[in-house]
Amino acid sequence: MQPTSNVNAAGVVIDNVSKVFGRKRVLNSVDIAIEPQEFFTIIGPSGCGKTTLLRIISGFYQPDGGRIFYDRREVTNIPPWERQIGFVFQNYALWPNMTIFDNVAYGLRIRKKPASYIRDRVKWALGVVDLPGIEKHLPNQLSGGMQQRVAIARAIVIDPELLLLDEPLSNLDAKLRISLRKQIREIQSTLGITAVYVTHDQEEALEISDRIAVMDKGDLQQVGTPEEVYERPANHLVASFVGEANFVEGRVTPEGWFERPEAKLRVQLDEKILAKEVSAGETKMMIRPETIRVVEGDNCHVGGTITKRYYIGSLKRYVVRLADNSELVWETFDDRFSEGDQVKLRFTALCPISGEESNEGI
Amino acid sequence: MSSRLGIRKRRLARSTGGDVVIMLFLLIGALFMVIPMILVISNAFKPLSELFLFPPRLIVRNPTLKNFHDLMVMMAQSWVPFGRYLLNSLVIVTFGTLGNVLFGSLAAYIVSIRKFPGSRIFMSMVVFSLMFSAEVTRIPNYVTIAFLGWIDSLKAIIIPRWSAPLGLYLVSRFIDGMINRSLIEAAEIDGASDLRIYWQIVMPNIKPAWLTMIILSFQELWRTQGGHYIYSEQLKTLPYALSQITQGGVARQGVQHAVTLIMMIIPIIVFVINQSKIVDTMGHSGMAN
Repeated sequence: MQPTSNVNAAGVVIDNVSKVFGRKRVLNSVDIAIEPQEFFTIIGPSGCGKTTLLRIISGFYQPDGGRIFYDRREVTNIPPWERQIGFVFQNYALWPNMTIFDNVAYGLRIRKKPASYIRDRVKWALGVVDLPGIEKHLPNQLSGGMQQRVAIARAIVIDPELLLLDEPLSNLDAKLRISLRKQIREIQSTLGITAVYVTHDQEEALEISDRIAVMDKGDLQQVGTPEEVYERPANHLVASFVGEANFVEGRVTPEGWFERPEAKLRVQLDEKILAKEVSAGETKMMIRPETIRVVEGDNCHVGGTITKRYYIGSLKRYVVRLADNSELVWETFDDRFSEGDQVKLRFTALCPISGEESNEGI
Repeated sequence: MSSRLGIRKRRLARSTGGDVVIMLFLLIGALFMVIPMILVISNAFKPLSELFLFPPRLIVRNPTLKNFHDLMVMMAQSWVPFGRYLLNSLVIVTFGTLGNVLFGSLAAYIVSIRKFPGSRIFMSMVVFSLMFSAEVTRIPNYVTIAFLGWIDSLKAIIIPRWSAPLGLYLVSRFIDGMINRSLIEAAEIDGASDLRIYWQIVMPNIKPAWLTMIILSFQELWRTQGGHYIYSEQLKTLPYALSQITQGGVARQGVQHAVTLIMMIIPIIVFVINQSKIVDTMGHSGMAN
């Protein structure tokens, strides 16, 4: 199937939305604008408010403050069943007493569609999720992955303006998660539906999203493309949640060097960073482990001793102790190093970072 | 079900000797429970001479259908047709049980799915009401039924049964344990009404709970003789008629045993059919503990 331009796909505007449960404030004035046909992912650690936000977008929860718009239509007080949305639940939520056909056809029957239309539409939806011919099965006869694909078929069969997915892959095993997330993205882009996807898996978010919102403790930390969020995180919280990161505190000299003398670390910053993002003085840099290279000779930025070596498949992860006993994590395909080796390292990308590490370890 | 509840099969650290002891213990318990039933069945087919033997015989030596024959003769001589008593019992059992299942499950749906302000207090009251025996509530119930003008009508037995709290409690507990909130929300998002969700989503998935309700309600209503509410002979129930027949002294002992078997056998058949579902329900409601 070729990607289509779906005229039904709605953009979503989350305008200054807040939510309180009892005495706990779970969302603090969140503002997000989601484009039509966009695959938008909300990530964050458990309890950050991402599911609450999704449920407010769907209408299951009412915000205590702020408004929700689908395109320019305010839907804040409109119940979910009047919104033409599809919702995929974490635990599939297929009705165990109904066949797959009845599960998928449920929404169409309530909308009083003709029988022939329902038959064709269910067949189409099951075809989209690559599960043709299972109409007569019961949910418990299917694997977890198949059940979740049926749940997606049930959500898209009504031709929704908006597809909402609440951690749909978290009950599946790792391999299935990877293949199914690609399939979800393919279905979304083929049908041209606006999708809002909630997950705590940053790798999943990076792979399939057009844009990502990172949340922590009810606050929106950053909205950006996967590249922006990964390579230029807005703060320490985002950087540490999305991928592995080293954080090095030091100072920037007026000559444009970033240095930490006690670790014998010295890096000439490139003009781009100097022009926009840092000024001379104390600062903190984020260095992704895979951007570190081992070098020979004097063009290194820092030297150290390998104290630990981890085998993580094709990549190897080394922990390198620097002169001031601080540690750097370095990832490479190169497996010729072992614990105790002295290495000279060079950084290919540094990113100035603000903010502090979360107390609760984001 | 087991996956939803997170139950995993695991090997118990128990020796074969331990297994044998437990099996023996269970076997003795089972014998104690099954002997009265065997005795009831056996007695129904014993001739009068064998009924009064001491020590009593567990198994009948000379089985006869005379007790049942005598029962039929006596019923044929009754001035109210026997069929009328049977019809009254069937009406009470059918409408009482149906109403109990319907209203109990509807109330449980509201309490468990549509939590309203005060629903927890309401549920506590329901549980509290289970502690009252029938004798304690007899006078207020009589006053209420008299006020409604239902004395000497089948309504006096049927309608109060609709609000029996045990069914509400059982179904509510089962919904809490079995029906995940997302199953309801998945239907809501498609615009399903409460009645539709109740009928198409909730009820089919809590079948063991309402089968249990049917059994419990059936057993209780099947035994009812009309109590203090029914005075007209033509409105009396089958157990009443049978109990009258058996109140004829020693000569009717055989008939009495035939009556006991008839009254016992129907609830047992209903129970056996639904046995596995019942056990399932008890497990979920915490009653097994």
